[in-house]
This record gives sequence, structure tokens and C-alpha cells, in this order.
Amino acid sequence: MKQILIGAAFAAGFAVPGVAQEVTLGRFFGACEDAGTDTKASVGEACIIQSIINAASAGIDGVTVETLPTDWGNYYDQIKAAYAGGTPPDVHVMHRHRVPEFAGLGALAELSDDLAAAGIDPDDWAPAARDAVSFDGGIYGVPMDFHANLWHVNMDLMAEAGLVEDGKPVLPSSPEELLKHAQMVKEATGQDYLAADFAQFPIGVRLVLALMWQQGANIFDGDTATINDAAALNAVTAITQLFDADLADPQLNYADSQQAFLNGEAAVLVNGTWVVDLYDAEAAKAETGLNDYYAADFPTLFDQGATWADSHMWAIPASLKANDPETFGAALKVLAFINDHNIDWARTGHMAVRTSVLESADYAALPHRDEYATTASIARDTPPSERYGAIQDVLNRELQAIWLTDKPVETALADAEAEVQDLLDR
Amino acid sequence: MARDRIAGRRRLTQKQAAALLLLPFFAVYAMFLVYPFLRGIWISLHDWNLLAVAFNPDAKEFIGFENYQRVMWGQNIEWSAWASPALQVVGLAGAGLAAFLRRTDRMSRATAIALGLASVLLFVLPGFHPGEGGRWYDRRFWPTVGNTLVFVGLTVPGVTLTALVIAAAINRETRAMAVLRTLFFLSQVLSVTVVTLIWQIMFSPRQGLIANITEVFGGTPIVWLTDQQFAMAAIVITTIWWSLGIAMILFLAGLQDISADLYEAGALDNATGVRAFRHITLPNLKRTITLVIVLQIILHFQVFGQSHLMTQGGPNDTTQVLVRYIYQTGFRDSELGRASAMAVFLFVIMSGFSVLQFVVGREDDR
Amino acid sequence: MNTRGYYWLVVALSVPAFLWLVPTLWMVSLSFQPNEVLARTTSTTALGLLPIPFTAENYGALFTFGQTPWWFLNSVIVALGMTLGVLLVSTTAGYALARLDFPFKRALILAALAGLMVPEQAVFIPLYTMFADFGWHNSYHALILPRMAVPIGVFLMMQFFKAIPDDIEEAARLEGVGWLQIFWYVMLPLARPAMMTLAILTFLYAWNDYLWPLVSAQKREFFTITLGLASIQSNFAQSEGLGRVMASGVIASLPVVLLFLIFQRYVVQAMTVGGSKG
Repeated sequence: MKQILIGAAFAAGFAVPGVAQEVTLGRFFGACEDAGTDTKASVGEACIIQSIINAASAGIDGVTVETLPTDWGNYYDQIKAAYAGGTPPDVHVMHRHRVPEFAGLGALAELSDDLAAAGIDPDDWAPAARDAVSFDGGIYGVPMDFHANLWHVNMDLMAEAGLVEDGKPVLPSSPEELLKHAQMVKEATGQDYLAADFAQFPIGVRLVLALMWQQGANIFDGDTATINDAAALNAVTAITQLFDADLADPQLNYADSQQAFLNGEAAVLVNGTWVVDLYDAEAAKAETGLNDYYAADFPTLFDQGATWADSHMWAIPASLKANDPETFGAALKVLAFINDHNIDWARTGHMAVRTSVLESADYAALPHRDEYATTASIARDTPPSERYGAIQDVLNRELQAIWLTDKPVETALADAEAEVQDLLDR
Repeated sequence: MARDRIAGRRRLTQKQAAALLLLPFFAVYAMFLVYPFLRGIWISLHDWNLLAVAFNPDAKEFIGFENYQRVMWGQNIEWSAWASPALQVVGLAGAGLAAFLRRTDRMSRATAIALGLASVLLFVLPGFHPGEGGRWYDRRFWPTVGNTLVFVGLTVPGVTLTALVIAAAINRETRAMAVLRTLFFLSQVLSVTVVTLIWQIMFSPRQGLIANITEVFGGTPIVWLTDQQFAMAAIVITTIWWSLGIAMILFLAGLQDISADLYEAGALDNATGVRAFRHITLPNLKRTITLVIVLQIILHFQVFGQSHLMTQGGPNDTTQVLVRYIYQTGFRDSELGRASAMAVFLFVIMSGFSVLQFVVGREDDR
Repeated sequence: MNTRGYYWLVVALSVPAFLWLVPTLWMVSLSFQPNEVLARTTSTTALGLLPIPFTAENYGALFTFGQTPWWFLNSVIVALGMTLGVLLVSTTAGYALARLDFPFKRALILAALAGLMVPEQAVFIPLYTMFADFGWHNSYHALILPRMAVPIGVFLMMQFFKAIPDDIEEAARLEGVGWLQIFWYVMLPLARPAMMTLAILTFLYAWNDYLWPLVSAQKREFFTITLGLASIQSNFAQSEGLGRVMASGVIASLPVVLLFLIFQRYVVQAMTVGGSKG
């Protein structure tokens, strides 16, 4: 009897074609625990990505995906700690701006020769997307999106202030006009013109950077920091004039600024593409203070169009490719699955990376998509650096010092320049 | 049977038994405290990139004390007696006070030396400043140390005073007092992430309870966590709320050691209530107070979670604290050598306080 | 103090005690309110201190989908493991250092005492690289072992054993009982209250530890509840809703709060032992 049972157990074991290959996956975007596997129905970054991952886990034969818990604030610290400890996740998301640091150290697997076999066609990626994952001639990941800063607009407030024309918001074309529009909104509605996270997460930094790029300037050039100059001063003053005139509140953090916008307390929210579907969904609800929502390109206040942009991409550790071909194969399948669902991810509001998706009717039909069509062409970022994170932090601190602690702009810019120079010299 | 076993093992000599019993602790102690500590010093003498060394163990470079210099020193650093007058005057006054109290024998020798030393440091350290065209190599380090000191300087008296007053008030063996004690202690058992979760929302200008109350009274809510005037206060309030319990219990223990006879005798001299507290409770509680203060200093100097989770060190670094800076330097910037140099600095400060506790404790035993 | 004065004191103290409780109450109350309501306002009823409108949905979702039960289990394993480990090394070493005679005893006591000066936050980086070299990260022992090396427990036990009168031990010696047996059959039973205290303090400490798990644990199997909670309270994790986040906080706190309420006698005792002799 015992033998029979054991035999039956063995047979049952053989009936299942091998044990499912488990792929561990690290990501940020926040938690969405009840995302399900329907990639077409989920709303918001966290739930859309989790539904794609869940679908991959359920849909790919012989592969299960385990999403690791990581929190946004410590994500790169934890990923680094995992790499240094020899236990990185089998696939993980990262930003384009981190490629020099991670690929430069040899942490990431080079994928050029593996993509085709996995069913990923790099030629379908838009040129900028391919650039995003390339380093020293190799391909170190699969791009998932471009994301950029937009001006999210409450059309009702704008209409009250007379700033709507042909169903589009009238946005400023100079710092002076920015101030004028802000005053118009204040007078007509009593609300703030502009809200953004100026106090914690570096949305304010990205705003200033965009205004610097619009003047043809940048924060550093090669090995020389160039922050303490007229362009930066112009960029900062364009924003501080709103604070000084009480037309915007620098003390709001991410959650609070978003809440202010959704409550109808600010006509414009500067935030990324990642919230377009979320705000669209909120605008549809009767109880929010936002009813008519428009996602506009970042306006050009100076000479040329520019807005801060970055890319999310998926990478595989070099150690996995070298030591564990089976899991590596499974990880590639997961990346291919994500690549195949580029259109679903684009539903967040992000811009797709695959030409076939970008040209599709489905993509064009996504809500508000036509409203920020120019964004792709004005997308910019700071020059690549291994110290991107630390540099952002310096800028964030000094800019916060300006608008939260009344530090003189010139002093703050000089300090920022000195500190960024230190980082570049290290 | 049991007796046989006992008899069989009796041959263990006292030395052998001691060795056997000491082994588990000293093994983990050597491996997970002594060795890492020495290793930390060794790392601090290297240019050591977290990821680079992980992939290639030879990627580190011995650079002597350069990390210490890069963190703590600068270009053209000068010293003057009036670089930071407020602190330095306090330092001078403290040194004078210590000398005076010692002279007039109102303070024990060790305490006087401790106070004197701290005062001299307070006079000397803030005197350093970058001269003409000079600068600190790391502009964030000393302000971070300063923030940590401010945090400790606000939290420790806050916790100690609140706990002392509450402990004195509820020091009675009744059911009602036991309930009150439980209520005051309860927040102590919550984890730092729960505490910061609660208080982040408490302080939120839109969703927060404090803002809700302010609005009922028609006020404008304070934006606690992103206002430079209030951010530090916010994490101090959070910490006092969180860590009151242990201090309170320590005081209760100390209070129970004070004989009831003393109070009865005091009552005859008309010393009751506040007078009894001042003339009987406080003098007899001196040792517990010292213990609580030193323990709190050691504990709060290592603050991390409150700053990391509630304010991310902001706004403009006003709540950036030492341990968070070590964590950031090590794991965000991958500079383990520099981070270790800061950790060694932290150790030096902490051991200073520990020695102080030891000295003060020893003295009272005499 | 007369009875009337006593009642006034209780009433007067109730006010700050209630204030002290309010933040915790608020968390509990928010965890029972619908997320859609909380997204607009947190002060529906009595400034949000009463959960009206009421829903238990946040808890349901937590247990249906959440990783919270996982994290919870890990925290229990780590906290229990650390508690047992600390008890083992502290009682043995504490007894030997307090009551046995052997060469270099003073030096060993001083060596252990010196360890009190090393704050854990000052060694987490070398510990991290050391565990990385051994490939030990993401394991229960990585979360437990470093904390066993902290000598405070040894001192607590040492102080306790020192205070036990000599005649108990001497009687056993005269009967010819060995040192280990004295430790096991005589000393440990006597030390039960002190051990209880040490156990509770260690458990609380382990449950609340944040920095070390943050750098050592990246896999779900080893994520503790303290770490897990940090991961859902960031600004971007908005999809979960305030009520759900608060429910996780309540679940994370429940065991330690219960533990405290049941064993608070020992916590108080702990402080008395450690406090007046420390």
C-alpha cells in the first residue's frame, strides 16, 4: 500500500512538466495587492504594472513571478544592497539615468544577443528608447516608457479666469505671462494657479531644470558645474515670483499638492505622465473638485521647448546570465511579456517605447493622449552621471532652501554649484 | 537516573564550566560586534565603493585618514573665539560654572570634570570656521551633527521632564493609576514605522487630526513636516510621544525605592505636594535621573527612522541626522569608506557618553 | 493624600492620558473607514476619532491579498529567535561572570562592558559587508545573530545573579552538585522573572528593529512587518488608500500591544531590575 502511494505521488510529480521556474522581480511604483490578472482594467501605475506581472506569472508556461516588496524611497539603496550582497532580484525595474552607474560597474547583463530569441525586437523600439537602455555599445535592458513632466490642468478654473481657447488651456509663454495668468486665476477663482511637490520629492527641481534647458543651459557640462548663472537665476525667479505673490504654495509635498489639485484648489499641477489615467478617473467622479481635466505639454517660457523626462526600463543582473541560464531564460520571457504589453503600460499616461505601439490606433485613442503629443519631442534630462542621485539631492536641498527657508537665490545657487562640482570631482 | 546524570557531569571543574558557559556569548560577541567594529575602522581607511568592491574585491584603495579629512575638515579652516559667539559664550560660562562649583565643593570631582570638558568642547569646536576663500570639504556633515544635537537637546529634556512629572503623579498602587500607567506606556511598544505612519498623517495639513482641530477653531493649519520652523519640532513631538514609557517606568522604579518614612518625616516639616517633590523626591532620584538622561542621549543620538520616514531629512536638511547621513552615504552614494568614517565618529561620541555614565554611576556608589 | 485630592488627581491625569492615546485611537478609527471617504476628508465624525461611516473592508482586503500576514509571520519568527538567542547567551554568560571564578574574569567583564559603548548604528556597514561576503543576507540568521552580540542582556543577568545570596549555591555545592547543574536547576528557576523581563524587552526590540533589516533583507520571505509598513507609507503608494495603510499599522501593532498588556507586570519589573542596578 505504501509503495503504491509513493508511486502515485511520483507519477503525479512527473505529470507536471517540471517545477515552475520562479523569477523574482524588484520594482517600485507602489503596492497594489489586488491587481488581478486583467491588464486592460487596472488603473494607476502600481495596479497596471502589477496586473501585467500577475498576468505574466499566470500566462507564461513554467514560469512564476514573485514580486519583491520594495519601497520607493529606499528602492535604489535596497537594489544596491542586494547586488552587493550577491542576491539581486532576477529582473528589476530601473531608470535610464541609473544605467551609467549600474552597467558601468558590470552589474547588468548585456542582452543584445538574447533579445531576438526571447521574442523582443529591438528594432521596434523608438530610437530614443534604444538609447535609453544602451551603454558603451551594448543593450542593458528592455525599455518600458518615456515619462515626462506635464502641466495637469483644471479646465473649470482656467475657464473662470478666461484662460481657455478652443477647448484648450491658454498657457504662459514667458515668466511675465506666468505671473499674469496666476493673478488672473487668483482674482477670478480665489485659488492658486500652480501646485507641485516643491517640498520633498524633486518635482520642483525638474521644473527648474526644464526652465534652464529652455534657455539652452544645463547644470553641468562635462566636468564643470554650471549652476550659478543667469539662466538658473531666471528659472528660479520665474517660480519664486509665484510664491512671493502668494499664487502658489511651496510647502506642499507630493500627496498634498495632488490633493490640492484634485480638490480644485489649484488650476495647474506640475507632475509626471504617470498620473494621467488616475486624474482622468478622479475627474470622472462627482465628489472631487476636479471635473474637467486636461493634460498639457510643459509650456515654453523661454526660447525653446524642454521638459524633464526619463525612462523606466527592466534589467537582469549579469550574475544571473553567467550562472543560471534557466532562470535567465525565464527572466527574459518575463521581459518579453512586459514588452508585449507596452500598450497597457501606456494607459498610465506614459509614452510608449515601441514604434508599432506609438503608431497604433489604440495608442492614439488613449484619453488625453493628443493633448500632450509634443512632449516626446521636447523631452530632456541632465547629462549622464554615476552620481545622478546625489546631484538631484543637492539641487533639491538648495532649491528647497530658497523657497522654504528664504535662503538668498544667489547664495543657494553658488552653494549648489560648489557641491555639484565636488560630486563631479570625486 | 537523574542523580546518575548529575554525578556523571560533576567532574567539570569550575574553569571548564565557566568556559562552556561563556563560550556562546563571547563567540557571537567577537564575531558580530568586535570584528565588525574593527573592520569598520579598516573600511574607513579606504576608498571603498559598495558596488565596485562587491564585484571586484580589489577595487578598494588604502587612503589613510583621507576620508576623515574629507568629512570633517576643509580648506583654510581657521579658529577664532568669536566664530559662533552664542555657543562659545555658553561654553565659557559652563567651564566657569564647573570650576566655581568644584571650588566651593558643591559638585563632585568627576561631574565637574565632565561638565568642564563638555563646556570646553562647546567653546572650542564651534570656533572652527572656513577662513577667507576657504570651505568645508563636506558642507553637510557638521550641520548634520548639529541637527542631531538639537534633536537630542530637545527630546531628552522633553522626555525626562514629562516622564518625571507623570511618574511622580501616578506613583500609587491603585487600579486607576495602573490603568493610567498602561495608557502612557502603550505607545512605547509600537514600532518606528507605525509611529511615523500615525504622525505623518497626524501632521498632514490636509488630512491631519491637528489640522482638523486647527480648522475647527478657524486657524490655518501648519504644514508641519515641510516647514523649516516646525519639521524638527514635529519629529521631536513624535519621539517624545513614542519613548516616554521606558523613562516613566524607570522613574517609577526609582520612586519606589524612596522610603515612605522620608515623606512622613517631611510631612511633619510641612513638606507635602510640590515641596515634598522638590526636597525629598528630586534629591533621592538624582541617580535615576542621571541614568535616564544618559540612556536617552545614547538612544536618541542614533535616531534614524523618524527623520528618514517622516521628513526625509528635509526641508533643506533641517532634520537630517547623523545615522541617516551614514546610511545615505553608504547605500545611496555607495561610499562605504566615508560612511564608515562617520560611523567611527558616532562611536567616539557615544563612547564619550558611555564613559560619562560609567563615571557618574561609579561616583554615586561611593 | 486625602481621598478627594486623589480623585482630582485621577481626573486631572486622565486628560493627558487620553491625549496620549488619541493618535493610536485615530489610527484605529481611520482603519475602519472607507478609503473613498478618507480621500476627501478624515474628519467625518468627531474629527475622525469615531469610525462613522464604518467598514471592515480594509481588514478583509489585507488578509485576502496582502503580504501583511507574511511579514507578520517573519516578524514573529525573527523576534522569537532573537529572544531565545539572547536569553541563551545572556543567562549563561551572566551566570559565569557573576558567580564563577576563573582566570581573566575582570578582563572579560571589562571586554564585554566595552561592547556597550559600540552603538549598533556604528557597525551596521561593516556587518553588512561581512554578511555579504559570507552570502548570508536574506536569511533569518542574518536578522537574528547580530543582535545576540549586544552585551546589555549579559549585564542585566549578571546584576541579577550577583544579587542572589551565596548560601543557596553553597548548599548545593555541599551536596556535590556540579556547576552546570547549579546553573540549570537552581539559578535559572530563580532567574525566571529577570529572564521574562529580558525576553519581553528583546522581543519588543526585535519587533521594532528597522535599520538592519532595511539593509539586510530584500526578499519577501525575510521582510519583517516593520520594514513592510515602511514600504507602503511612501507618497506614491496611494493606490492602497489611507484606510488600508492604517489597517496594516493596526495589525502590525496588535501582537506587541497584547503582549504588553498581558505581561506588563514583567516590563515594569524589568525596568526595576535594570534601572536601580544599571
